Parts: sequence; C-alpha cells; structure tokens
Amino acid sequence: MKRVLHLMKKELLELRQDPRLFSIVILAPIIQLSVLGYAATTDVKDIPLAIVDADRSTASRQLVHRFEGSANFKIVAMPGSTSDIDSYLDSGKAWMVLSIPPDYGRKVGAGRPTTIQLVADGTDSNSTGVALGYAQALIGGYVQDLAAAAAPGQPVTGLVQPEIQVWFNPRLESRDFMIPGIVALLLLVITTNLSAMAIVREKETGTLEQLNVTPLARWELITGKLLPYAFIGIIDVVLVLIVAIYWFEVPMRGSIPLLFGMCLIYLLATLGLGLFVSTISQTQQQAMMTSIFFFLTPMIYLSGFIFPIENMPRWIQPFTYLIPLRYFLVIVRGIFQKGIGLEILWPQAVALFAWGLGMLTLATLRSSKRLG
Amino acid sequence: MSDLPLRAAKSAASEPGLAIDVRGLTRHFGAFVAVDDLSFSVKQGEIFGFLGANGAGKSTTIRMLCGLLKPTSGTALVGGIDVSRDPEGVKRTIGYMSQKFSLYEALTVDQNIEFFGGIYGLSRDRFVERRKFVREMAGLQGREDTLTRDLPGGWRQRLALGCAILHEPRIVFLDEPTGGVDPLSRRRFWDLIGDLSRQGVTVLVTTHYLDEAEHCHRIAIIQAGKLAALGTATELKQVFSSRPIVEIHASQPVQAMSVLDKNPNVEKTSLFGTSVHAVLKDASLDPSVLAQALRAEGIEVSSIGAVMPSLEDVFLDVVERVGAA
Amino acid sequence: MRKTLAVASKELRQILRDQRSLLILLFVPAFFLLLYGYALNFDIRNVTLAVQDKDRSTKSRELVSSFVNSGYFSLVGYVDAPAELDRLVDLGRVRSILSIPAGFERDLSMRKPVTVQVIIDGDNANTASTVSGYARTLINEFSGAQMQLTSPGPASRPPVPVISVEPRIWYNPQLRSTLFLVPGLIAYISMITAVVSTALSVVREKERGTMEQVRMAPLSPLPYIIGKTMPYLVISFVSAILVILSAMLLFDLPMRGSWLLLCGAIGLFLIGAQAQGLLISTIAETQQVAFQVALLSSLLPTMILSGFIFPISSMPIVVQWITHIVPARYFLVALRSIVLKGADITAFWQEMVALAIFATVALGLASLRLSREWA
Repeated sequence: MKRVLHLMKKELLELRQDPRLFSIVILAPIIQLSVLGYAATTDVKDIPLAIVDADRSTASRQLVHRFEGSANFKIVAMPGSTSDIDSYLDSGKAWMVLSIPPDYGRKVGAGRPTTIQLVADGTDSNSTGVALGYAQALIGGYVQDLAAAAAPGQPVTGLVQPEIQVWFNPRLESRDFMIPGIVALLLLVITTNLSAMAIVREKETGTLEQLNVTPLARWELITGKLLPYAFIGIIDVVLVLIVAIYWFEVPMRGSIPLLFGMCLIYLLATLGLGLFVSTISQTQQQAMMTSIFFFLTPMIYLSGFIFPIENMPRWIQPFTYLIPLRYFLVIVRGIFQKGIGLEILWPQAVALFAWGLGMLTLATLRSSKRLG
Repeated sequence: MSDLPLRAAKSAASEPGLAIDVRGLTRHFGAFVAVDDLSFSVKQGEIFGFLGANGAGKSTTIRMLCGLLKPTSGTALVGGIDVSRDPEGVKRTIGYMSQKFSLYEALTVDQNIEFFGGIYGLSRDRFVERRKFVREMAGLQGREDTLTRDLPGGWRQRLALGCAILHEPRIVFLDEPTGGVDPLSRRRFWDLIGDLSRQGVTVLVTTHYLDEAEHCHRIAIIQAGKLAALGTATELKQVFSSRPIVEIHASQPVQAMSVLDKNPNVEKTSLFGTSVHAVLKDASLDPSVLAQALRAEGIEVSSIGAVMPSLEDVFLDVVERVGAA
Repeated sequence: MRKTLAVASKELRQILRDQRSLLILLFVPAFFLLLYGYALNFDIRNVTLAVQDKDRSTKSRELVSSFVNSGYFSLVGYVDAPAELDRLVDLGRVRSILSIPAGFERDLSMRKPVTVQVIIDGDNANTASTVSGYARTLINEFSGAQMQLTSPGPASRPPVPVISVEPRIWYNPQLRSTLFLVPGLIAYISMITAVVSTALSVVREKERGTMEQVRMAPLSPLPYIIGKTMPYLVISFVSAILVILSAMLLFDLPMRGSWLLLCGAIGLFLIGAQAQGLLISTIAETQQVAFQVALLSSLLPTMILSGFIFPISSMPIVVQWITHIVPARYFLVALRSIVLKGADITAFWQEMVALAIFATVALGLASLRLSREWA
C-alpha cells in the first residue's frame, strides 16, 4: 500500500512540472461548459423569414404583422415577387419564405378557402420541422382569432380540445436537458485523456521497464496511476456541478450527494477506460487515436447524448448497453430533471460500477511485468 | 503476495556460491533467434562483462535474467531463484540499470531517490542512510533539488546506478551503463563498480566499449546470440599466444593494409585508429621484414613493433571466427 | 521548396512505418460515417404511449386508434392509476400519456366541447415539442372529423375563414434528418481526423529531443511546418473523399453541385484543421498537454458550435461570435450548399474566404511560434 502512495506522489510531481496541464484540466471544463451550455439549444428562435406579400391588403398586412410580432421569427426581407426567393434560400439568408397570394384579402373577406404557401429550407430538417410547426401554429391561432371575431360565441375552437402538459420541463427549456449531458461528456473527455497517457508515457520514455524490474505489483501500478487522476477528476466534478447548478440554474430536483456519489462511480469508469487504452497502446499518438476514434466518438454519438437511442436501428441498440455514458446520462438527467433516487437508478449505477471495475481489471491484466 | 521465494524454484543442482547460473538459455522472436543456447555462470562478487556488437543478444539476455522477458527455453538461476518460475522473486533480490538510465526527468534528484526507496520498501532509517550513500557516491551533494533533466550525463548515470542499488541488492545488472558519457565519468563509474564488487556484490555488465571490459574479472563475448568466448581478459588474449600482433604506424595506413594482406607472413590486418595491427602467422618472425616490404612499396613507416593483444583484437578475431563457423 | 519536400518525405516515411495509425486514418472515418449515418436520426417515431381511458367507449377507442395508426406513437398499454403512470414515466418506459375523461362519447354526441389531456415527458425538449405538435395535430384532425359528422347544417354556419397552409420543402422534401446529419458528420469526422493526425507531430519531437537535430539544419519554420503537414493533408483528403463517397453510396446523399468546388472546400477546410493541430503542437511542451488541448478544441466544439446539430442563429450572441473561430462552421455551410442546394460559389464565397483566413492565420501563428522557439 505504501508503494501506491509513493507512486501517486511521483505522478503528481510529474504533472506539476507542466503547470499548464493543471490550468487546462481545471479551467477548461468551466469554460467549455459555459460556452457549450449556451450553445446546445434546440430551441428555435429568430428564424430568418422572407415574406412575399402579393396582395398588400389590410388582411395580408395583419398576417404579416403577426409574424413580425413573433419571437420565433425574424423577418429579413420582403421581396417583391416570388422569383427572387431562390437566392435567399440558396444563400441561407432566409430559411423560410411565406408567400401570400394576390387574392388573399378578397377570399378571406368572402369566407372562401385560400392557400398560403410556405417554402422552407429543408437542409436542417430538425429545425425546419419545428419552424414549420411554429408557422402553422401561428397561422392557426390567427385563423381562430378571425373566426372568433366573425362569429362571437360560437364554439369555433373545435369539439375536441387538446390540453398538453409537459412534465419535468414545462418551459421546454432544452438547456435543462442538454447541460447535464454536457457535464457527463466533459468529464469523460478530460479524465479519459488524462489516464490514457499515464502508462503509455512511461512506455515511451523507458521508465516503465524500470518499474517492471521493481517489486511493484501490477495492481499497485494501476491504482497508483488511477488515484491522482481521480483527485483531479473530483475537482472537475465539483467545478462543473457548481457551474451547472448555480450559473445555468438547471433545476436540481434530486439529491446532490447522490449525484456526487454517482459521479465518483462514473470517474471509475472513465479513468478505467483511459488506463485500459494506455495498456494497449505503444505510443502516445496511438493512445490518442485509439481513445478518440474507438471510444470517445462512438460514446458521444451512440450514448443518447443528443440522438435518442430509441431512434436507432433495432440491431444497434443492444450495443449501446456497452457504453458507460449511456447509463450515466440516464442517472444524471434523472437526478436533475426527475428528482429520482437510487431506488430507481440502481441498475444503472451497478452497470456503471461493473464497467469501471471491468476496465480496471483488464488494464491490470494487460500491464504485464514480463513480456511473453 | 508472498515474500518467500518458492521452494520449488530452487534447482537442486545449483552450486553454492554461484550468483548467476545460466544453462541453455534461448529466446526466439518469431523466426528470429535472439539468444541461442547460452550457458555460463557468475560467482558471487564477480564483475562479469558481456561483450558484443549491437544486436548480438546482450540486452535480451539481461532482460531474461531480470525477469522482464520470458525465456523460450533453458534455465537461469539468479540468486538461486529460477527466472522462469519466479520472476517477481528475482526482482526483489536484484538491481537493474537500463540503457536509457530510466529516471523521471521531471523529478529532482532527491525525489527520484525517494521514489525508488519507497518502491523498494526501505524503512525510514535505512532510507536516510542509503540516500546519504547515494548522494555521496554520485557526487550529488548540493544538487539534491536539481531537476533530473538538467543534470549532465555523468551525474545522471551515477544517480541511475544509485537508484538501482538503493535496496542493497546482492546482484546488479547494468545494461550499457556508460553510453554517451565522458571518459572521466566512465572511469569514475568503473571505480564504483569495483567498490561494489569488493563488498561482495555481483555485477553483470553489458558493454560494447572494449577498453572497459578490461575492468571485468571475466568476460563473455556474445555474437549472434551465441556464446563465442568466455574467460578472464588474460585467458582470452591467449588466443594470440602463438600469433603475435605487430603495430605499424605508416604514412598511408589503408595502402599499408592492402600491402600487408598480400604478405605471406601475415594472417590478417586491421585498422586501429591511424595505426595498423597485423597478426603474424609465426611468432619468430622479425617485424622489420614487414617494414621493408612496406618501404619497398613506397610507404613510409614511422614505427613498428610488437604489442600486447588488446581486447579489441580478441573481439575482432573471435567474431570473425564465429562468423566463419 | 526542396527542403519542404525533404521534411515531407521523412514524415511520410515515418507515417508509413506506423501502419496501424495509417490504416486508422484512412479507413476508420468512412466506417464511422457508415455507422453513425445509419444509427443517428432525429425523426421521431414510436413514441411510447400509455393510455388512461376513463370512458372506454367506441369514440375513445377511435381516438386511441388514430394515435396508434399515425405511426408516431407506439402503445405500451392501458393504465388507470395515476401512481402507476408516474412510475412508468419515471422509469422512462413511457414518454407520453393520453388521458381521455369519462363522458367523452356522450359529450361529443351532444356537441359539447370536451378536453383531452396529453402528458409528455419533457426531458428531451427537442422531441417534446415535436411530440406535442404531433398530438395536437392528431387531436385537431379527430376534432375536425367529429365536427363534420355532427354538423347541424350549412345554414347555421357563419362565414368562417378557412385558411390552409401548404408547406413546400426545398432540398430535402421528406425532411430526412439523414440528409441533414450526414454533411455534419462528414465535417466532424474530417475535423477530428485532421487535428488528431497533426497535434502530436511537432510536440513529439520536442519531447524526444529530436527537435534539436532539425534546428541544426538551415531550415526555416515555415517550410518545416508545411512539410510536416503535407503528408497528413493527402491522407486526410483521401479519407474525406472516401467518407463522402460512402455517404453518397449508402445514404443517397445527393450531389447537386460542382465536384471542383467540393474538393476546393474540403482542401481549404483540411488545411485549416491541420494548421490548428500544428499550432497546438508548437505551443504544447508535452504530448499530454497537446492531446488535451486538441481534444477540447475540436471534439465538442465541432459537434456543438458548428451548426451541425444546433442552429447557430438560436444561440446567444456572444456564443455566436465564438462560433466564428470554429472552421467546421464554414465548411458545413459550403458543404450543404454544394451538395444539397447545388449552389454555385456566389452563395458561399464568404465562407470560403473565412476558411482561407483561418488556415493562413493558424499556419502563420504556428510558424511564428516555432521560430521564436528556434531563435
């Protein structure tokens, strides 16, 4: 055990010689979380909209006014005719073009059906779908107001009324969903990298051979490499949680101590992963490429961070069970947004713990003190 | 984790007093045979030299003896412990200094000493005592807080040696310990090795500096993974007992060599710095005969005389003979 | 020029010796495009639905059917107790709940307005708003159909305006999110590959001490840097083309624009990305730091700040400024313009200029940094 302490001390001393590393691992998460937390929003605002009003009647101007007043849209141009709209959409200056036909006002006044055209840039299918929804809702609301004005007292709003309640996130604030995810991701990226270089660095300089000749046991090597980075990881956890809860004010409905405990288990998994990568790489370049290509990137995309797992093809979904980030996302989002506790989250916690332990075991087995 | 060497690992046939006992040690890397049926033994307190060209198998052998590499076949007993069966036991009893002087560059001198002391589990008192010893031995008093990467070559080398013997091992393996170090430091280093030997520590050194090998009690010449020659420096030089070596200083050494090669009295020639060494076939030949032959070809000879064979001569001779075999 | 080639060929030889890395750089990106392009999409289907039907009438079952038949929802089961509903949502087994009150059929037949409750798990705000849109649409359609059935007659109807909206979607008519995501994936993968390949190149020599020898040669920093980048540029370029070809083959990614422009955009982008990696390499002292900085400056920013998934126009102004130094942002615009919109250079020349500026600045800073070290 004392040997582990010596190893830890040496590791920290080595890290201290490049003080920039410390500022990076401490400052970077805060900065990244701050910037990315603001950026990762699926709310669609200020959609650039161009309107072609071929009618120019009171009625059409009313409609235009509705769009002007909406926070979701930003009117960037009012071209004279529909022949101009190509350039707006091609260049991306406008995402949508609303085209009001010349006989609009007349038809509305006479109670005859009329059609408005909405041309949308489909390249960003995600936002476009939402934007179209907004536009249709806006027009729908406008229609209802017109109907109410024309025939007060009549049940024009339809026989069946939907009342839609959104649980856990009534403001539909996507940030509350994204930020816990970013916290998980940042911790993964930083701590995995730290530990991934740990053993492979000594391979490159030759000091690993020297260690192999000493009585230092494999598990002592792995533990001694793990603990210093675990300390750094814990500091990072505290920092990002502070930023998430107090700066972004992501609602925290669950237990903070539980969250902290879960983060520790998560660190076990991420550091274990890094150490494992370290034992299968010969150079630091290899460690870097292996961890980025084969671990970090798949984890980011397939863990349910942004892309829902339910949407993935059936045969891919079982593989996502291999990704520790998947479990941690469920845990962290559950604690933040749903306020659930260990009685519901225990399967994820166990899975995460098992993953971490498994990785560390693999790393220990792979770091043989003697070549075959 | 047991601290006792396994009983079964001790071979019944090992002789007492033998620090290292190697029999038929072999190592393959795929189809390449790096070490081929090596057998030798080293007595306690001996300085044993491993001589060979780069790639001859010296480092591979040392790694096997240290428990860093598993032998393909054969046995080796280090300190009475079987290397194949109990490598960890071996590691507890030996010290090892690698070619690259594996120290932690980012740590200070004292921090490195403290680290290795801790790894070897030295008690506080013993550690303080040994640290003092290493500092003095390496001449690092006053430099305790210098970063290792800022140390000049000679100090680094001695620090590496110190860290390797902190735990007072009875057997020490040094792999090319004097690479890239100035002659004065090399001399000092070999003085230290001599001290160790006098205290009863067995030292196995690999080197390709032939002049250093003279400091060893016994030398093994390794060529292409095989043991080519084994004996004291004097014994090895006996190779030339019937064939004297003549050293010639000539104005055009290269031409001189080709002239002498054609001479029926000369077995072979080689270039030594700016002089030529010629191995004579017959001990009774008068060297001046060769001088005449050279002058006849218009080559000026400034001096000619018999010399004691150096290990370099021995080495080249042995290597040639093994190569021809 | 010759010196540059000398540096480049040495670097190339080193790369060729590390076959594992070379193979990874060339083929793994295309493979990953295959994996992610296939796995990832935003289209929302099979939203798990629990139904609390307090009426259990023909009409209520009709409503439930309309939900199920739409293809958007996938019925998990009928549940009555509120506590059970809570539990299902907490566990994540159910993402939406349709609650039909008692007396639903009776009220409908009497033309009394009735309210139907839809509860949505809002943890993923993105999907939640879309799902509520689906629900709303389905209910409105159902409502409209009911109104037709029970209509009292044309005479009693006042002139209510009927305005319908006809949406037309350009470039991606079925709103296939794959077409949206794949260019982004291409940009992401190319960026990561480029930065990763160069980020350790210079700093590795610093750590090993071989930099000393290079400095001895009469070589100025700029040719050295260009020489170091060139082999990786070729590799990254080949890799990027492989990725795009895979996307076209496997995901029906259209190619509506000019190949020449596409190659030009890719080239500029890759030069900039590698320059970024090189810059990191010249600033860091240890490979560990270089790796850390490379990761932090490329992995998450490229994904989140480039407009790949989250629209830049929706971000706060300060963050929008920051996105200007993410080269993937410009590349994505150019890529989408060329591939999906078939636009010519007038539509995105600004982005190309921005890429060129980025590359120049990064290369310049890297050689500046190196010359200061070598001085």
